[in-house]
Amino acid sequence: MTLADLFRFAIGSLGGHRLRTALSLLGMAIGVAAVVALTALGEGARRYVIDQFASIGTNLLIVVPGKTETTGIPGMVPGTANDITLQDAEAVARQIPEVDKVAPLVVGTEDVSYGARRRQVPVVGSTQEFEEVRKLSVVRGEFLPAADMERGRSVAVLGQKVAQEIFLGEEPVGKIVRIGGWRMRVIGVLAPRGVQLGMNVDDMVLVPVGTAMKMFDRRSLFRIFVQVRATADLEQAKGKVIRLFKERHDGEEDITVLTQDAVVSTFSQILGALTLAVGAIAAISLTVAGIGIMNVMLVAVSERTREIGLLRAVGVGRRQVLAVFLTEAALLSAAGGLLGLAVGWTAIEILVQVFPALPASPPPWAVGAALALSFGVGLLFGWLPARRAARLDPVLALASR
Amino acid sequence: MRDLIRLAYNAVAGHKLRSGLSMLGIAIGIASVILLTSIGEGTRRYILEQFAQFGTNILSVVPGKAETVGIPGVLGGTTRKLTIDDALSLQRISGVNEVVANAYGSARVEANGRGRSVFVYGVTPNVPTAWNFRVRQGAFWPAGDPRRGAQVAVLGPSLKRELFGEENALGRFVRIGGSRFRVIGIMEAKGQFIGFDIDDAVYVPVASAMRLFNLTELNEVHVVYAHAGLADRVEREVHRVLKARHNDTEDFTVTTQKAMLDVFGNVMNMITLAVGAIAGISLLVGSIGILTMMWIAVGERTQEIGLIRAIGATRQQVQLLFLTEAAALATLGGAFGILGGVGIATLLRLAIPGLPIHTPLLFVALAVAMSTVTGLLSGVLPARRAAALDPIEALRTE
Repeated sequence: MTLADLFRFAIGSLGGHRLRTALSLLGMAIGVAAVVALTALGEGARRYVIDQFASIGTNLLIVVPGKTETTGIPGMVPGTANDITLQDAEAVARQIPEVDKVAPLVVGTEDVSYGARRRQVPVVGSTQEFEEVRKLSVVRGEFLPAADMERGRSVAVLGQKVAQEIFLGEEPVGKIVRIGGWRMRVIGVLAPRGVQLGMNVDDMVLVPVGTAMKMFDRRSLFRIFVQVRATADLEQAKGKVIRLFKERHDGEEDITVLTQDAVVSTFSQILGALTLAVGAIAAISLTVAGIGIMNVMLVAVSERTREIGLLRAVGVGRRQVLAVFLTEAALLSAAGGLLGLAVGWTAIEILVQVFPALPASPPPWAVGAALALSFGVGLLFGWLPARRAARLDPVLALASR
Repeated sequence: MRDLIRLAYNAVAGHKLRSGLSMLGIAIGIASVILLTSIGEGTRRYILEQFAQFGTNILSVVPGKAETVGIPGVLGGTTRKLTIDDALSLQRISGVNEVVANAYGSARVEANGRGRSVFVYGVTPNVPTAWNFRVRQGAFWPAGDPRRGAQVAVLGPSLKRELFGEENALGRFVRIGGSRFRVIGIMEAKGQFIGFDIDDAVYVPVASAMRLFNLTELNEVHVVYAHAGLADRVEREVHRVLKARHNDTEDFTVTTQKAMLDVFGNVMNMITLAVGAIAGISLLVGSIGILTMMWIAVGERTQEIGLIRAIGATRQQVQLLFLTEAAALATLGGAFGILGGVGIATLLRLAIPGLPIHTPLLFVALAVAMSTVTGLLSGVLPARRAAALDPIEALRTE
């Protein structure tokens, strides 16, 4: 019996019971489609988050006040004993050669009004460097002026949405807006950027850092963004920043320096684990499908007892009978797997068409694992029926009806 | 009816392996649904309990408006500050029992040559009643004008152990962020709160904390009211009083514990539902397995069906026969699945004692109902096929 014979025999018997075969296929296909579609969703979410981070630059160090030994999330607790100050930010820019740009950050919330229209928005105090560090750009006018950090001029750059809402199509540049009790001249409007890391860039107002500190009566910074010249120098620069702060703060290490990489990889790991878990839960259905295939194969063996007896009588060996039934089971589950892959993939493609923002695509490992698993499950659960067929006594099998 | 069950039973029992495998498929599906939803429900309850230990009749006021920045309070406030005076004004609302003004941060606490970076809570001395905390040794500072803060501190038990070991700490001095504070009390151990060790902290007067952290406003004000029925009225009053004090602008956010827990509970329910649904896919696959086997059974028993029809059984009765068989298979499978799911859940809890797993009876009932319905649905097609057979043709087949 050749390999081709084996296949022909298997296909012939599968084709003989169309509905039965189709149902077994369907079970396996549902399982594989679920695994493929769900892992694709998880992978899409992971990529989406990574893209979000990448959009704000990869050479970035973020200095957050407070050393976190006991609390998990740095920067969530406002206020520490030792503040980080504008002088600290200036020192980082001056004294560390690897550093390209430094942007200090002060944040608060305030009403912005023009005429009768007002809107409460986050007010971000920073410097000219913020434009490059956060990859922002202006569509009209100009960005914050380069100036001595501590001198706060009364100028503001509006986010796209703020400009639209309070100016309603009027030209904002050159006009005077009120921010809280302060009068500020609008010098620019930001290009639309959308939500970045949970903060809507379009719905905020930028002012010089010195101005913001006076407005909100702050002496400390919310955080400092440090852009390093080359990605390769990132770790080195991080060490130097920590040492510099220790020196300036009486030998106490009271800051936390986050690198983009660390944050990204944490998120990536969490979402990766989640994807794996969801995929595994969906894969339970593959086992159930395997049980279904085993059941159908067992029926097939008992139905074809006489046929098997005949095969054995004309000189076919036990191993070959085993091979026949294993081939049948494997074909069945592999075909189901392929069908499921096609369905799952199509579903994801349609989803991506509807929500283009989500870069969902099944990760290669999941596709491979789902197919291998479906094939493996077929072989595994086909083993019992195949062995039962192979062990039949030819004489008794022929005599049965 | 008795006949029906007996016939179904015979058919199921006659093919032990076959029936067993069909049931196994359903059982795996039900077991995974039960297990995963139990973990979800357990987690939800666990977190709700964690919050409840602080008391549930509490609302919090933070500076800033939540609509503009996702998380209120994180970015800090506006030009009009949330002050201690604001907090004091809330005390006069009727129905309000306690008002706690909060200003917190993290700082290094040093004593005995040892140091540790911990959470520093600037609070008013009514914290033990407001938060359900107990003081083990000493006491909180006497209630007085909260705008003036003495250099005194109450240590959390973990922090006390870290700094002083078994020694007496009362009356000793600690340095917090460089200033000297005298220890006047030690808290009772309270344990973990969703991952945070709340015993590893120090409590100081709110004004001292604001000085320490250079804060110009409070981070949060907690308002504790007498009973749940007052929630809406107190919330309205808090809005009114603060708005009046802040030039008629709503530059603060009021969140009731209940509202927060409701949102949280909804999110958890969604997650539990989603995970349960994913596990439910295997139930679907299992039902396809039953459908296949029943279809085969109808084919095999064509003669038998013909015979039953010939001795007077109606089409409806034949249909019912096969439906009963499918439902019985699935329900039995479901029962085994519940046993398996609950069994694994119990084992897990024995292996990992802290793991929050909870299986409400409702879930069990739903699972049984779900498996029966699954069985009935997968039996419909084969049963119709059986009922549609022509008795004469059926009898003649081999």
